[in-house]
Amino acid sequence: MLSVRDLATAYGKIEALKGVSLDVAPGSITCLLGPNGAGKTTLMLTIAGVLKPRKGSIRFAESEISGLPPDAIVKRGIALVPENRLVFPSMTVLENLQAGAYQRKDDLGADVERVFARFPRLKERAAQQAGTLSGGEQQMLAVGRALMSRPRLLLMDEPSLGLAPLVVDEIFRTIAELHRDGATIFLVEQNAHMALKVAQHFFLMEQGKVTFSGNPGSLAEDEVIRRAYLGSSR
Amino acid sequence: MALLADLVQNTLDGVALGASYALLGIGFTLIFGVLRRANLAYGPALMLGAYAAAWASLSFHAGLLVLAGIAVAASIVAGAYVERLCFAPHRKGAAAAAMVASFALWMQLEEVAMLAMPRHLYAFPALYEGGPLEIGPFVVRVDALLTLLAAVAVCALLWAILYRTRFGLAVRAVIDDSRAAGLAGIDVPKIFMLVFALASAIGGLAGFLIAASHEQVTPMLGMWSTLKGMLAMMLGGLGSLPGAVLGGLALGLIEAHAHWFLGPQLRDFLVYLLLFALLALRPPWMAGARHG
Amino acid sequence: MDEYALGVLTNIGLVSFVALSAYLLLIAGELSFGQQAFFGVGAYAAGMATAMLGLPLPVAVLISMILGAAAAALVALPTLRLRGLYFAMATLAAAEMFRILFELLHWQIEVGGERVGPDGTQGFRGIRWVFERGVEPDAFLAIVWLLLGLVLLLFLVMERSRLGATLRALGDDPGLAGALGIDVERFKLGVVAASGALAALGGALYAHHNTYIEPRNFDIMLGVHSLAYALIGGLGTALGPLLGAVLDIGVLEASRFLHGYRMIVFGGLVALLLVFRPRGLLDERTVRWLRARFS
Repeated sequence: MLSVRDLATAYGKIEALKGVSLDVAPGSITCLLGPNGAGKTTLMLTIAGVLKPRKGSIRFAESEISGLPPDAIVKRGIALVPENRLVFPSMTVLENLQAGAYQRKDDLGADVERVFARFPRLKERAAQQAGTLSGGEQQMLAVGRALMSRPRLLLMDEPSLGLAPLVVDEIFRTIAELHRDGATIFLVEQNAHMALKVAQHFFLMEQGKVTFSGNPGSLAEDEVIRRAYLGSSR
Repeated sequence: MALLADLVQNTLDGVALGASYALLGIGFTLIFGVLRRANLAYGPALMLGAYAAAWASLSFHAGLLVLAGIAVAASIVAGAYVERLCFAPHRKGAAAAAMVASFALWMQLEEVAMLAMPRHLYAFPALYEGGPLEIGPFVVRVDALLTLLAAVAVCALLWAILYRTRFGLAVRAVIDDSRAAGLAGIDVPKIFMLVFALASAIGGLAGFLIAASHEQVTPMLGMWSTLKGMLAMMLGGLGSLPGAVLGGLALGLIEAHAHWFLGPQLRDFLVYLLLFALLALRPPWMAGARHG
Repeated sequence: MDEYALGVLTNIGLVSFVALSAYLLLIAGELSFGQQAFFGVGAYAAGMATAMLGLPLPVAVLISMILGAAAAALVALPTLRLRGLYFAMATLAAAEMFRILFELLHWQIEVGGERVGPDGTQGFRGIRWVFERGVEPDAFLAIVWLLLGLVLLLFLVMERSRLGATLRALGDDPGLAGALGIDVERFKLGVVAASGALAALGGALYAHHNTYIEPRNFDIMLGVHSLAYALIGGLGTALGPLLGAVLDIGVLEASRFLHGYRMIVFGGLVALLLVFRPRGLLDERTVRWLRARFS
């Protein structure tokens, strides 16, 4: 569904991505692991259109999408749940969801109900300002907001960041559910253990390049975790 | 007793003055709140609007409503020029470049106005022909009341737009977090452009009301409007629309009272001192903590 | 060289001091709309020193630089924690306060049978120390440019030193600078004070060149212009602000052909230039390229 080839992105003088190539199969949960600073978030932001690549290509469902602005990417059917959630703090939970569906002109009622059914705590807080929600609730809101655009590919950047273990369990249960319901998910995670439990395929990224590609089980888990945190050195 | 009478009259004058400042503040704040940039060409753009209306008035004696429309339209055009040249190209970072560019256009627009209409002063039809209202010993100008009414109407309209329309939802999302807004599918550059146009329209209306209340336009209107708009925004807490209105009214009240008791120079000094002190002390109502 | 050209060149030199003071703050990451206030402090202080206290010009210049630095420190101390536009607005407010103080300053004394000294909005006439000693316009031009040259040399030395690197680090990423152990606030205070002294130096010379100064000379226009010169000329080198001043005053004002359309042309060119070069003509990249080319 998503094909990235030789993608290079730079922040001013720093080359964050040095030629990344990977594929995300439709209907799968694909996971991207790697140490901090490897470029995982940069890759997500480049796919989502926030950053422009220096070179390389991103193909989604047969068309080239690299270099398009973020709203065009959403229009094509890709939604990113960003690192640190980035909910709209002064707007209510409901308004956040409505914002996620900004491009749609049809009636949102059914989709809102679906999100509320999936995340009952959000329904309770529908009229509350998003800035007052807990970390876990904000994460669910961010996911719900992304779902409102009915994406064909859901990108998630570190959904478990800063959350308590019980909440992390909940998040991953949600990810598994979404997958069961047919979603394609491309997930960046620091929590390699939880990620490997749900993913069908994973990539390891270090210093701007993909260094390993395989299924959970093709590498011993503790080896994966070691590389995800420390990078493959000697 | 005489002191009390002075205080009341000054307060009435201050609110009258504050109404125009509030309108100027709203326009300036819309741009700052959404684009996070100060637009130094704000005043000159609305001055062009007022000049266009003055020209129309002199050339074919158009009615007040038409003049208002011309002022608003011309301001929107001038504002769009500024937005395209100064703000659209500098979207990511480079706030200094955008602001210096807007200063360059300030100079440019002022010169355009002075070349098009070289006299120092042009007459402008009065907003209200009759005399002021007298409430007991106090005097209230009708054009001031009309300006206040306009400010209130603009506020109500803005509130409706922001909280009752899809466009307003997008604007609030961009104000909260422009990156997240883009990720949610909002065309952020287009929102910037539309907000700029809205701010220019409000500025144009403010320029028209000011010109009609003073029955004249001068080239000083440009810098004066930018300064008052900026002061209103800063006194009211930077980037908040209700704050801009309160800031404008507060500015008017402070100026009216200070002018009466201290004279014009100390009046200005006091305003700047207050602004400096507010910035130095940063009380909680200044939004700076979130973005500064 | 004819009088007009001498005047233009001297003017460029004098304004360059204020432009350099804005430049110093810009590379440290701060925008200031208020450098004109310190220019004014320097002008009034030097004028009062020579015309009223009978002090020689070099002493007057020194005094004005000290007072300029003090005034800048006074503005900076309460505002050290402010960044970006907030700091810029604070400098604007402070500068306007200084200008109003100049308007309220009435202090005249009898010197040689005449009343000499600042007279509020009427200004301060009779700053004739240079004139009275028969210093010709071309000699004064030489003095201005000599001092400017010294300042530029100091800048060029500083930029290659650790101080310069720290300054630019502060401008690029103050958070990082702080994390690396730089006392950001103390440093900023020093930078602002230095910029105040620099602007005051220009002001002192300006007062003696014009022999007459008034509060209106030190208004927002001067401040924003100097900022513009620094940004347009380029933030890659201290020659940048000079270039900006040369382009506006030297090329445009001097060109009769553009008379009356100067701001339309200049304003439009500046905005356009900034679209392609947000850090000016001689920005860091260009300077690096030039250095590589010529070394």
